[in-house]
Amino acid sequence: MTGPAPLAADRPDGSAGDATHGDIRKEMLAAARSLARSAPSPAAAMTSDLSIDEELTLHSIGWEPIELVYGVSLHSIPMGVWNWGQGEITYASSAFARSFAAATDRIHHECARSGGHGVVGVHVERTVDRHHIGVALTGTAVRPVGAKKLPTADSVFVSDLSGRDFTLLQGSGWAPLGLAAGASFVYAPRRSMGMAMKQTSQNVELTNFTEAMYTARESAMERMQRSALAMRGTGVVEVKVTEGPMEFAHHAVGFSAYGTVIRLVAGQHRNLAPRMVLSLDDPVRGVEATALRGT
Amino acid sequence: MDDVPGDLPEAAARRFSEGAFTSGLTVPDFAACLQMGLEPAGYVQGFCVMKWGSWQFYPGAGAYGGYGPSVGSTHGGYSESWQCPHGFVSAEHRVWGQNYEQPWVEEAWANGFTSAYERLIEEASALGAHGIVGLVDTSAPLGDLGVLEFRVQGTAVKVRDGPPPADGRPWTTYLAGQRLAKLIEAGYMPVSIAATVASVRVWASCITAYLTEGTNPGWTSQAVGAEIEQTARAQMAVRRIARERVRSQLGGDSLHGASMGTRERELGEGDADLECILRGNRVRRFKEFDPMPAPRPTVRLS
Repeated sequence: MTGPAPLAADRPDGSAGDATHGDIRKEMLAAARSLARSAPSPAAAMTSDLSIDEELTLHSIGWEPIELVYGVSLHSIPMGVWNWGQGEITYASSAFARSFAAATDRIHHECARSGGHGVVGVHVERTVDRHHIGVALTGTAVRPVGAKKLPTADSVFVSDLSGRDFTLLQGSGWAPLGLAAGASFVYAPRRSMGMAMKQTSQNVELTNFTEAMYTARESAMERMQRSALAMRGTGVVEVKVTEGPMEFAHHAVGFSAYGTVIRLVAGQHRNLAPRMVLSLDDPVRGVEATALRGT
Repeated sequence: MDDVPGDLPEAAARRFSEGAFTSGLTVPDFAACLQMGLEPAGYVQGFCVMKWGSWQFYPGAGAYGGYGPSVGSTHGGYSESWQCPHGFVSAEHRVWGQNYEQPWVEEAWANGFTSAYERLIEEASALGAHGIVGLVDTSAPLGDLGVLEFRVQGTAVKVRDGPPPADGRPWTTYLAGQRLAKLIEAGYMPVSIAATVASVRVWASCITAYLTEGTNPGWTSQAVGAEIEQTARAQMAVRRIARERVRSQLGGDSLHGASMGTRERELGEGDADLECILRGNRVRRFKEFDPMPAPRPTVRLS
């Protein structure tokens, strides 16, 4: 077999221009040789969906991943609630709230059982169907390196922040407390026959939909905020929203939001004072073929 | 190439012996691999096309009593049963429901995946490779014939001055380039990829069917708007089975960079097939962790 042509890495001193390259080659050799040794005890095994960058940043603040954890719940919505009506579709809103709460409770228990103190990088999947609403949470349980199990699942935090964001948050004196969520589903009331006919050939705002969206948004955001206050949080970061009419009922609109509740745990916010970096990479300028034809 | 396995395609053997290497690495990954002392040996692949055979019914023994799950195990798999609380209603009424693991689905998937993976390993071994990096595995149906194709591809590499692989099998990883370099610097050595599927069938009880269809179950403890407990428990179980199965493959090693994907095929009236595929890098710690200093935040000016 012919390998690649010798490059800088083939220098007689084994380096490729700086010490780091020489080190990584030695590390690679040591790593390859380690496979001949027996595997560690099963108790040392961990599972994680974090990237290597996230794990490294977590370790830099003294935390480690221990287990991939999840929580799922789905609640029924009675037949007929999506039919034409007025105001909020409370069955759907409460089904979302209860599904989110039950899924969170399950991931709390999963985390506590595995010895985690919190869950980071939680991926939230929501399904809104005509007759049921489901929430699935998946993330990695983490703990301070070598820390003991928490006595109760209530002390566990759940966060959709990445390992990097968790590290930044900790560094600036804040801590995640949990996931807050709120959702609201609202009917967009019918226009009157006269109004509908009058607007047929006009470019006009459909105020019934605009108002329904505002109603759903305010209710959902208020619920999320109330949930954050119940956790004694100062605020919510990384809020993600989903909004729009339902696929199966276009006269109903939904708005849901969730984010990580945080609180200042240090005496005061610590300024991270980021260092400015000016990248020297030149932007690649492509040639547009169409320009050559003068079009 | 003297020890080319008998079933390696002739064209593959010819390709491997022609001198130039092939690789699926990007240029940055290629450069990073060279810095680590990894030399590309060849682009290796494994395929397997599986025909899905008959779907067996897998009854389990249900327990009787009020409405609620009774956890049991049939043939070593997961199984829970629900008994109808209504008494006799009609001949069509679902008098019981069950969640059960479908080992024949899992075994078929494992056979397909493992066959493709072993063929990949075979090609890499024929090249004298020490490992395979940048591995990509996919599976896709071929038409609508109930046929699934498994594909596993990657770049076989040799560790310069490195020892031959332990037990003669090259190590494998989904990572390549800088991410692999960071893994090594963090003190982890890839052992192999780990992948598994869990499959759970929801055979809905009357309560589950009513709740999934949005109708009133007529049972006070399961009012309209209640949690669909049977389906929720199946969703939790399919994830747990996948995680436990991967854990059983790890020995004392760890699963890193895992991805958990779930799929639900609704079959009507609460019945469903649930599937969870969990994959990741099995890694082994080869040195004590040497924590890096807290990273310095930067702001990129553009």
